[in-house]
Amino acid sequence: MTDQENNETIGQNAGLGMSGGGKVVPMQNDPTAATRKDTWEEDGFTVVRGNARTAPGCHDNCGILMYIDKDGKLDHVEGDPDDPYNQGRLCLRCLTLPDVVYHKDRQLHPLKRDRADRGKDKWEQITWEEAYEICERELRAVQEKYGPQAIQVFCGTGRDIVGYHPMLANILDTPNQGMGFLSGQGCYVPRMFSTTMKIGNLYTGDYSQNWIDRYDNPNWVRPDYVVIWGNNPVVANSDGTLGHWIVECMKRGTKLITIDPKLTWCAAHSEYWLQVRPGTDSALALAMAHVIVEEDLYDHEFVDCWCYGFEEYQEHIKDWTPTRVAEICDIDEDLIWSAARALGNADGWALQWGVALDHTAEGFYSGASCYDLCALCGQFDKPGGMVCGKPSFGVPVTWIGSDTDWIPTKRNQYEHLHGDYPALRVIGMPSPDATLEALEGKYDYPVKAAWLQTNNCLANMGAQPQRIAKGLMEDDFNVVMDLWMTPTAMAVADVFLPVTTFPERFGLTGHQPYRTGAINKAIDTIGECRSDPQVVVEMGRIFKGADLFPWSDGEHFDEEAFYDYLLRNSGFTWDDLKSRTWAYPEMKYYRYKTGEIRDDGEPGFSTPTGRYEFYSVNLEAMGMRPLAFYEEPPESPISRPDLLEKYPLTLTTGARQWGFFHSEGRQVPHLRAIHPEPEVTIHPADAEKYGIADGDWVIIENQYGSCKQKAKIDIRIKQGVVSADHGWWFPERDREDGFFGTFESNINNCIPMRPGSTGLGCSYKSVLCSIRKA
Amino acid sequence: MANSEYGLLIDYHWCTGCKSCEMACSVEHDIPIGQFGIRVDQFGPWENAPDDWTYFFMPVPTDQCDLCAERTAKGKKPTCVHHCQAACMEYGKIEDLAKKLTDHPKQVLYAL
Repeated sequence: MTDQENNETIGQNAGLGMSGGGKVVPMQNDPTAATRKDTWEEDGFTVVRGNARTAPGCHDNCGILMYIDKDGKLDHVEGDPDDPYNQGRLCLRCLTLPDVVYHKDRQLHPLKRDRADRGKDKWEQITWEEAYEICERELRAVQEKYGPQAIQVFCGTGRDIVGYHPMLANILDTPNQGMGFLSGQGCYVPRMFSTTMKIGNLYTGDYSQNWIDRYDNPNWVRPDYVVIWGNNPVVANSDGTLGHWIVECMKRGTKLITIDPKLTWCAAHSEYWLQVRPGTDSALALAMAHVIVEEDLYDHEFVDCWCYGFEEYQEHIKDWTPTRVAEICDIDEDLIWSAARALGNADGWALQWGVALDHTAEGFYSGASCYDLCALCGQFDKPGGMVCGKPSFGVPVTWIGSDTDWIPTKRNQYEHLHGDYPALRVIGMPSPDATLEALEGKYDYPVKAAWLQTNNCLANMGAQPQRIAKGLMEDDFNVVMDLWMTPTAMAVADVFLPVTTFPERFGLTGHQPYRTGAINKAIDTIGECRSDPQVVVEMGRIFKGADLFPWSDGEHFDEEAFYDYLLRNSGFTWDDLKSRTWAYPEMKYYRYKTGEIRDDGEPGFSTPTGRYEFYSVNLEAMGMRPLAFYEEPPESPISRPDLLEKYPLTLTTGARQWGFFHSEGRQVPHLRAIHPEPEVTIHPADAEKYGIADGDWVIIENQYGSCKQKAKIDIRIKQGVVSADHGWWFPERDREDGFFGTFESNINNCIPMRPGSTGLGCSYKSVLCSIRKA
Repeated sequence: MANSEYGLLIDYHWCTGCKSCEMACSVEHDIPIGQFGIRVDQFGPWENAPDDWTYFFMPVPTDQCDLCAERTAKGKKPTCVHHCQAACMEYGKIEDLAKKLTDHPKQVLYAL
């Protein structure tokens, strides 16, 4: 069995991307569906109802009303008060949407540049036909010379691409598709994969989002607690969770426990705030489990009937005493006892986890250690606990998975670039860290072309970005598809493809498993932009021939017919979905008891034992540790005391900011005004120690590199820790000036491109640094 | 001009400081960057006692607020109320809103 086949088997067992046995899932009763309109006239405007997805990037799918003037121009948008998802609310990014759609800097046409001119502003406008001709010629040359595996299909996050890039990998016959140059695939993949090994599916907090009538639904119970772990949900809105759902739960009596080195609004409004040292989350989870077991507060029925490996786990957590862990986490021991008792005594509680859990080297196990707490308390598939996230209506492109059976491929014939890391071998994703080493000739694998779509790795998530720039500037061929000329496109692209914003396109919602919705086109496409999925499909026609398309004659891309095809097992058509805008699948709790979780119809979870596995049989079989554990970050005050004299502070990065989505938004004046400069948050005591005043420019430095950000002196951050912005570039600067100055304030200069032992997990939130006035 | 019969009730305990009210107002009324029809002010954080923090946000309407007279004339909510992510703002007759002030603490009523 190849790794790819092995991965698919595990994915199937895990229920990832599967349609639930091919049965059509009924819809929830939707009383307004029959009368709901997708278009109407109002005060001289045509209003088009849709879902806000994508571009620009976002992790949510808010209901939106787009107001189109008599000239066909998007005048303004409003949140859709009838949409259960956001109930009228909107954040800054949608409120300023017309400023993005009509921005003077948007790239509206395909461009080419001679390979010899990479990094220089020597672009030439071309037609799509020529762009595709170049892509075909160059990618086929790479395929023939080095093999198709030399092509890397890399996405980022937030745009409508996660479900479509596996199609492109099939089309290009390459096994290498993932989040390029995000060290350790460190966004959701570590948590998702490790916890899927334990329970077979991904579960998320129950804030009533699966119910069309939301908080009023009689089956729903508000969580007693929401445990906000390494996340600032009201700002981040991560992974299909609209943060303010939690505020609605709070209004109904939910209390918070927040685990964060920074005092967020949620932390300040929590019953317990545990201000941990960055990277120590797993240790805290093990100690909380220790308390819950020692005080016999765990859910005996769930543990006895539905879990596997409790004895081994019980033995494992014995040594993780609150006394020991309080010292590791640098928090008050009493807080561990109190917070753990609160969870042990609660009825329902939800885990609201954040990417911080992935952003430590052994982050593969952080999420797993938190899930163990949920299992101890019997929270899975429980109202006000954790709900099972299978793709809604079995449409896999909308959540985790893809729809690739219709694309013949040779990708399985090639071993993917796993870098010899055990988790990546199995999951079938490339190691971005090994990819960089391969580009540099330090790892034996051909990396000769990169397809970067939704991916601004040099400004945003690529660790040690100057190494990445150098590596990509020396390969054979690069394509970048984006809204703007980004630093990444400017540095490395040979072909630039312009993407539509969401009012210019049709599509399906995604990045969440609760409901399926329509992206509704409201205005004519601007310039020659095309949607992300359209380009993927058109590459299919080029590489696999016109016969590829099961839904059309193949002569042209029929956008609506394509989405109709993707809905073929849902029980409804694209036209149905478009006119109703959203559809909610039937929702049930405790499905593990009724045989509605496993594909074989047996009760239990989709794991080898059919139970929640404290002790993971699959992980053991793959040569990884079967129990969640804690290990010090590779660079911490405890693991590297030798570095402390030079680099006495702990550096955490990537805290989300109102108005920006990662590296997006810096060119939108309204958004930039809110957060005009890259900022590093420093505790007043540390600022005094290093002679830094509020607003000073500061050099942040460690053994990997340095960058410059502006000091924000703020009591909210833990003493001894500094928190630095990510994603900065300066679109107002010259393109050739260091690719919009992107390396100047790029905190990833200080982050190693190095995963943990499994290949998943990274160090974006846990390294050491020094600070000094610039 | 605003009608003094109507006002804004803000349950500021739930305000997360998301600034959606500020931005909704600015784009609705074309208010230049640096000016505001409503502005979110931050208080704290400071620690009153161990584990007891003052850290809250307070939206404050300015002289540029006309309570979205055009919108409310059409039966819509003011745009700040409509888009508030914490759903902690209410528009209505001052005499009706005033009665809600005794429900729970940390509310403020603006007459404009």
